[in-house]
Amino acid sequence: MAGAAATGLSDADFTRFCEYFYKRTGIHFTSAKRYFVDKRIDTCIRNSPYDTFGSWFAALRTSDQGPMLQELINQLTVNETYFLREDYQFDAMLTTVLPNVLAARGGISRIAGPVKILSLPCSTGEEPYSIALRLLEEWDQIDHVDVEIHGADIDSDVLAKAAHASYGERSVQRVPKAWLNKYFVAVGAGRYQVDEGIRSAVTLHKVNICDTAAMRSFRDFDIVFCRNVLIYFDELSSRRAAENLYGAMRPGGYLFLGHSESMSRISPIFTPTRLPEGLVYQRPTGAK
Amino acid sequence: MTSDTPTRARVLVVDDAATVRLYHSSLLTDAGFEVSEAANGLEAVEAALGAEFDLFVVDVNMPKMNGYACVESLRSETVGTAAPVVMISTEDRPGDAERAYRAGANLYLVKPVAGDRLVRVAGMLTAVEVAA
Amino acid sequence: MGLVRKQAPREPEEVLPEPPDTGTLLGQLDDPDPDCRREAALGLVEAAEAVPELLARVGTEKDPRVLESILTTLAARDTEEVAGGLAVHLASDEAVLRTAVAAALATMPRSVPALLPDLLAAPDHDVRVMTAMVLADLPHPEAHDWLVKMICEDPHPNVVTGAIDALLPSATAEDAQLLRDAVERFPDDPFLRFTVNTALPRLTGTA
Repeated sequence: MAGAAATGLSDADFTRFCEYFYKRTGIHFTSAKRYFVDKRIDTCIRNSPYDTFGSWFAALRTSDQGPMLQELINQLTVNETYFLREDYQFDAMLTTVLPNVLAARGGISRIAGPVKILSLPCSTGEEPYSIALRLLEEWDQIDHVDVEIHGADIDSDVLAKAAHASYGERSVQRVPKAWLNKYFVAVGAGRYQVDEGIRSAVTLHKVNICDTAAMRSFRDFDIVFCRNVLIYFDELSSRRAAENLYGAMRPGGYLFLGHSESMSRISPIFTPTRLPEGLVYQRPTGAK
Repeated sequence: MTSDTPTRARVLVVDDAATVRLYHSSLLTDAGFEVSEAANGLEAVEAALGAEFDLFVVDVNMPKMNGYACVESLRSETVGTAAPVVMISTEDRPGDAERAYRAGANLYLVKPVAGDRLVRVAGMLTAVEVAA
Repeated sequence: MGLVRKQAPREPEEVLPEPPDTGTLLGQLDDPDPDCRREAALGLVEAAEAVPELLARVGTEKDPRVLESILTTLAARDTEEVAGGLAVHLASDEAVLRTAVAAALATMPRSVPALLPDLLAAPDHDVRVMTAMVLADLPHPEAHDWLVKMICEDPHPNVVTGAIDALLPSATAEDAQLLRDAVERFPDDPFLRFTVNTALPRLTGTA
C-alpha cells in the first residue's frame, strides 16, 4: 500500500503499540522504523472491520491473538527463507556448539550414537540443507562423527517442496559458486536442485510442534534450530511448544531461536547462554 | 554532577511494570547513572549475559522468572556477577527479606521507595557520588 | 562417519502421536525424576480426569520446571474448577508459585471473571496486587473495567499503582480523571504521582 498511513498514529499510539508488540512477540521496533510500522499497521486496519487505530488496537488486545495477530506479525516480519540465512548461527554451531557437544558427550573417541540436529520448522528445506552444506564443507570433524539431520514442519505443502529440493536463483544467491557446482544440479530456468546425496542426509517429518504426544518421538537432539515460529503463537501454545522442544533435546543440548526472538517472553525452562556469536538456550544438564 | 564523569555506573532496572521501570529509570538517570531496563527476570539474565552492570534493581513478583530466581541466576554460574543487587517489592511479610538475602541480594526494600532513598542507596552500593 | 544418509531420499513421514496412557502418566506425577514428572504433566493435557491430581500438585511440586509444565497443562483447561484451584495460590508465600499461577490465570479469560469479585475483596493486599497482574494480561473486554474499579476503590496504594500500570496500555482520555483522583487519595505516594503526571499528557493529548 503506497502513501502515508491514513489512520494517522500519534507518537503515543506508536509507543503503546510497540510496547504491546514487544510484549507479545519479543520484537522491538525503535522510532527509526516508524514509517515502516505505520504503513503495515495501516494495511492491517484497512483489512479489518475497524476504521481507527484505537478500535483496531482495542480489538487486537482483547481478542487473544488469533487471525488479527497473525496478520500483524506477517506484515511486520520478513518471512523470506533462503540458503545460509542468519548464517552467524551456523558459525556458532561450527565454532562453539559442536565442540561443546562433543566434549559433553565424552569426546570424539568415546561418543556413542550420532550427533542429532533438528530444523523445526524446516519450511521448504533451505535450513536443513544449509546445515548439511556447512557441516560437509567447514567442519573439520565431520569425517570422525556421525551426524543426523532432521527437518520437520506442520505444512505438508512446504515439506513436499523440501523433499523435491528445487530452488530459484534468489534462494541460492548466498551459496558459494563452488558449493553450487558440487552439491546442486541445474534443472533449467534458473533453478537448482539439491543433489541426491544431500537430500538423503536430511530426514523430513510432518509434525505439529504444539502436539506433545507427536513430539515425543523426537528425542536426544543435540542442536535444535527453531527460528521465527514461536512469535506466531499465543501464550499457551508458545509455552507448550517450548516444553516440547525441551523434551526433544538431550540435557545440555542447544536451541537457536530467530535473530530477533527471545525465550524471555515465553518460558523460563531453558538456560540462556552467551556464545561469542550471540545468545543461545540450553536444556540444563542434570536434574535439580 | 556525576553525569559529567567519563564512566557512569550502569544500572539494570528489572520490573514487569512499565510505570515502575520508568520511575526508577528516571530517578537514576537524573542522578547520573546509565540505566537499562528488563521486564522480567529472564530478560535481566539475558541482558546481564550481554553487558556488564554495576548495580541491579530487581522487583520480586514478575512473570516467567520472579525476582528471587533472577537474583539466584545472576549469582550462579549462568551469569556469575558480583555486582550489588537491590530487591524492591510490595511484599513485606516476615521472611521475604531473608529470602532475598539468601538468593544473593544485598538489600531488600519495600515499595513505595522514596526517590531520594533509592538514589542514595544506589550511590552507596556503587560507590558513586550521586546528584540527589 | 559423516552425514548419516538413507538409501535414497524419502518422502516426508507424518509423525503420529503416541497415545499416552493416562493411568501411567498419573502414576509418573510422583516419580522421583523431575524430567519424568514434567513429561507426565505435559502429556495429561487431554485428560480431564487428571485435573484434580494436577491441581493437588500445584502447591506441593518443588521443581520450578515441573510446576511450569503442570500449569501449562492446567491453563489449557479454562474452567472454573481449574481457575478456582489456581487462584488460592495467589496468596502463596512462594514467589515462584504465586507469579507462575498469576501468569497461568492471565491466559484463562473464560473462567477468571467469575473469581474477580472475591479476589478484589481479598483481605490480603498482596493477593489484590497479584490480581492486578492477572488483569494486566487477561485478554477479556471487561479487564479494563475491573482495573478501573480497583483504582477507584482499593484502599491500598500498592494495589492502586499495580492496577494503574495494568490499565495504562489501554487507557484513554476518559480515564484521566480517575487517575487524578487516585493521586488525591494517596498524596504521599511519590511513585503514584510521578506515574500519573507522566501518563496524563498522553491521555489528554496535551503532550
